[in-house]
Amino acid sequence: MTLAELQLALPEIFVLSMACVVLMADLFISDQRRGLTHLLACATLVFAIIITLNLRVAPGEVFFAFSETFIRDRFGDVLKLFSYLVLLAVFVYSKHYLRQFNLFKGEFYSLSLFALLGVMIMISASSMLTLYLGLELLSLSTYALVALNRNSMIGSEAAMKYFILGSLASGILLYGMSLIYGATGTLELAAISEGLTMAAGESLLVSFGLVFIVVGIAFKLGAVPFHMWIPDVYHGAPLAITLFIGSLPKLAGLALAIRMLDNGLGGLHGDWQGMLLVLAGLSLVLGNFAAIAQTNIKRMLAYSTIAHMGFMMLGILAGTPEGYAAAMFYAIVYSIMAAGAFAMVILLSRAGVEAENLDDFKGLARRSPWFAFMMLMIMFSLAGVPVFVGFFAKWQVIAAVLQAGFVWMAVLAVLTAVVGAFYYIRVVKLMYFDEPESDEPITAPVDFRAVLTVNGLAMLGLGLFSGALITLCVNAFAA
Amino acid sequence: MPLTEIVFYLFGGILILAALSVVTVRNPVFAALFLVLAFFSAACIWLLLEAEFLAIVLVLVYVGAVMVLFLFVVMMLDINVAPLKEGFMRYLPVGVLVALAMAVQMFLVFWTRGSADQPMPDPRPEGYSHTRELGEALFIDYLYPFEIAAVILLVAIIAAITLTHRRRPDTKYQDPAKQVQVRREERVRLVKMKSEGGES
Amino acid sequence: MLTLAHFLTLGALLFCISVAGIFINRKNIIILLMSIELMLLAVNMNFVAFSRFLDNMDGQVFVFFILTVAAAEAAIGLAILVVLFRNRRTINVSELDSLKG
Repeated sequence: MTLAELQLALPEIFVLSMACVVLMADLFISDQRRGLTHLLACATLVFAIIITLNLRVAPGEVFFAFSETFIRDRFGDVLKLFSYLVLLAVFVYSKHYLRQFNLFKGEFYSLSLFALLGVMIMISASSMLTLYLGLELLSLSTYALVALNRNSMIGSEAAMKYFILGSLASGILLYGMSLIYGATGTLELAAISEGLTMAAGESLLVSFGLVFIVVGIAFKLGAVPFHMWIPDVYHGAPLAITLFIGSLPKLAGLALAIRMLDNGLGGLHGDWQGMLLVLAGLSLVLGNFAAIAQTNIKRMLAYSTIAHMGFMMLGILAGTPEGYAAAMFYAIVYSIMAAGAFAMVILLSRAGVEAENLDDFKGLARRSPWFAFMMLMIMFSLAGVPVFVGFFAKWQVIAAVLQAGFVWMAVLAVLTAVVGAFYYIRVVKLMYFDEPESDEPITAPVDFRAVLTVNGLAMLGLGLFSGALITLCVNAFAA
Repeated sequence: MPLTEIVFYLFGGILILAALSVVTVRNPVFAALFLVLAFFSAACIWLLLEAEFLAIVLVLVYVGAVMVLFLFVVMMLDINVAPLKEGFMRYLPVGVLVALAMAVQMFLVFWTRGSADQPMPDPRPEGYSHTRELGEALFIDYLYPFEIAAVILLVAIIAAITLTHRRRPDTKYQDPAKQVQVRREERVRLVKMKSEGGES
Repeated sequence: MLTLAHFLTLGALLFCISVAGIFINRKNIIILLMSIELMLLAVNMNFVAFSRFLDNMDGQVFVFFILTVAAAEAAIGLAILVVLFRNRRTINVSELDSLKG
């Protein structure tokens, strides 16, 4: 290990050290001044952004460290930057909620930072071992976060379901990894990619292992038919935690899929393409249709997540750099949109009562025209209305699928997107054309309002200037 | 039959039977004890595969720590076993069917692959230290994962304490620092009293 | 003569038993957690066997880490179980139905 290697991993080292500092510092901070923990956690993210920006690698450059278990490339840097930004927004949004619901504890911040570290490790994994360990670091922190409200019946129930299905998914993924290791004799993703061409005699073992790996990834992404935990966990978890699991882990899911399927098993593209095609098709159909039937906003957004993950998989299954860039663009845009949508639900929650039902949005335009407008932009973006950034995300992905030659899949994607637009626009209709059920004023701290405004306007801004973000994603996969 | 095969079939058989018992007995205490048996037999098979260090770690960490934790929780929660039996028969056919289908596929894959009949490599030479090999791999090539594993254990500690630690309002605490720092004035009160007017 | 396939079959059987266990023990969370431990044991068996037959240490290193993570996982799982039990006074999954829809 050399100093240069440590420098490559500086963002990880910094986030780890600060997570420990937050953990320790919180012990000495009294309950009334818990805001300090919040500030410390936010400062960590800001400095992480600065460090990563300063040490960024140029497109096409790749560095390995720690005996090839760690990789630093453009893809990783871009994804890490957006992870910090998304978590920063999550911290600002959830402070308001955690205060109201008596959950304002230091553990929320330390566990979230450890989860972020897990995401970063996955993003920078170049060995199946580091990929697995990062995944577990993320998952274990999230299981605990879901149960954070210890007195909540549905919270602990959701945590248990999440834990059992998450562990099952890890087990299946590991079984697949063990078979791939057996066929190629290595854990390093780059070496596996080379070994696949030589292990021609082991093709049966390899494709068998691939099935387990794809099932494991599908579980983690929440693709149909391995989606059953998503609605329950989103519903049962405290809103701030739903906001967290609805946004940040999606970036990790993308990293898991790209590192494992492309960097490691890229040679088997023909084999996993078909599996992803089925998973994506089912997710698009079931996610969008089930979302229509929901009256609970958290469950509606949960099913919408399933559909969006289906869209993201479309980009991955194309198997080309353009396809991966489209999937990456989609994942980034989706996590920003999801953060905004859940923040709106937090905004409508009053002390002790979570806004749960779609009816809570009734007449929002009269209670708070500005935030109704923000929600309108977020919903239009999720629905994929042109001009908004969600449209360009869908467009890129569909273009990649068309290029890969799956015209029927592109048609299915467009049709389900139209179905999906129905339930997003229903929220807009409730806000603008229905009578409010209560005339309580909407109150939120100023930082919450500011970030939500930026988040909402980003839907339009990123849409108008989508070229910059797309270029960023395309460069991430430049050879 | 050579000794290695006898050992394999003996402990393999015990392992499978113990695993079957874990998933079929109703009483969680029995299930935990069968799981201990399964781990123990697995450790014996790992010895056969010359993974001595891992075999011992499996017994020490799993049987010694994790299973004891399981038993503690089972005993602590005082679970009523009767309702847990319901539904067992209902899901049994599906479960067995899925497992059998998977098992058949796996057999086909493992027994038809090119190098299925690859024999066991020759035993390692005398003086070979498996622990040293593993240690060298762990602390030279896999230092980074080793650090991550440390963080995972830290997260487990934080999570377990956050979720289960309760400060009961009715518990009486001792604060040694306060006890040590106590001053005479806080404990002893000298009361001046007028002596009763004695008869002299 | 013992071949690699013997050990892989043992792992496969353990894996199938644990999947069946997850299917049939939907009501008993403790046994569900134990089935997951069995599944990890199956994975470990595979890694150890491959590692021996390939004469390559990486597989055993992976087993070492799986053991570590599984211990952490068991601790968190049992902690969640304790929280659940305090709230519901039951670990019967069939009664865990407040989340439906």
